Amino acid sequence: MTPLEALSALLLLAGAAFYLAGTVGLLRFPDVYARLHALTKADNLGLGLIALGLALQAENPAAGLKILLVWPLVLVASAAVSFAIARRAHELGILPAGAESPAPPAPPPEGEARIMPPGDRA
Amino acid sequence: MTGLEAPLALFLLVNLLAALIRAARGPTPADRMLAALLFGTTGVGVLLLMAHSREAVAMPLVDTALVLALLAAIAGVAFARRAWQAAGRDDDAA
Amino acid sequence: MHARSDRSPSGRFGLRGFLQRGALFTALWWVLAEGRADAWGIGAVSVLLATAASLALAPPGPGRLSAIGLLGFAAFFLAQSALGGIQVAARAFRPRMDLAPALVEVPITLPDGAARILLVNTLNLLPGTVSVGLRGDRLCMHVLDDRLPVAAEVRQVEARIARMLELPA
Repeated sequence: MTPLEALSALLLLAGAAFYLAGTVGLLRFPDVYARLHALTKADNLGLGLIALGLALQAENPAAGLKILLVWPLVLVASAAVSFAIARRAHELGILPAGAESPAPPAPPPEGEARIMPPGDRA
Repeated sequence: MTGLEAPLALFLLVNLLAALIRAARGPTPADRMLAALLFGTTGVGVLLLMAHSREAVAMPLVDTALVLALLAAIAGVAFARRAWQAAGRDDDAA
Repeated sequence: MHARSDRSPSGRFGLRGFLQRGALFTALWWVLAEGRADAWGIGAVSVLLATAASLALAPPGPGRLSAIGLLGFAAFFLAQSALGGIQVAARAFRPRMDLAPALVEVPITLPDGAARILLVNTLNLLPGTVSVGLRGDRLCMHVLDDRLPVAAEVRQVEARIARMLELPA
């Protein structure tokens, strides 16, 4: 195995581990919002690592770039779908588990931050 | 080819199956919408891996993965535009 | 697509826009054909059609994109989305997940349109935040851990987007 192949194998294994993390998060996290975190962040990193690992083995630069081109497209899809799901869940009145106080689906726009922690320690 | 591609594709497929079962069980409609996300990320990952495994080199699966990703992006943006416009209406009404 | 109607058509319709888009689509074709030389016949036709369609559907407007800002944003985004994946994976695998989920509202300053859409969607992929909705100039987000400095992170992303799109900060 050449060093490049070893690096590629490492990236592929790491990518698969992040997919596993996404699935574990999906199974364990308490509500739909938290599950969105698991799927959007962990799975996308997993795909990025797998695409990078496969691109390293490509026969020429163009073929490698073609594999990498898939990643930003899926990122766009994930970000957009995740926003649509979160918004729909909020509209349906689904509350995040463990939120300290209920946030109604349509708070008045002039209201102050609802559950914003004071000062938001920066 | 590291020889890992086909086993990892299978591994992702099992992941996809477990996640789909979880998503289908809900309990809320929003949970079931998670299936749309799963096909975008895991489905494309499986295709990419299969494209580079020893067993399936005859098929242009990278192109399939690319088209699936493109369709997922277009569908996702269309989906989000509706949610966005609904958000805009809220502003007007409020 | 949006906010395009209120822009007056600028005089940058000509050769420069054509060459820029043409170069972009030529590069894209090179990638799609995986560098093969025998496909350039169809490629030339495709590149011309794609350039014409893109100029007709999205004429070059006064909206500018800073190349340095774009590179900076891409690097920031790559590093942060990797961090986001690592963070959420660590929590998923930990026996006690230690979540402190909450809905928070953060004021945003970016103008309506592309900049805001980019902000809302970028935040979905960055550590700890998922956008839930926009209400006027306030962004409602779900955070996995409200002990983390979410508002500061949003301001940082806003600044990077403003720099990339050459908006007044």
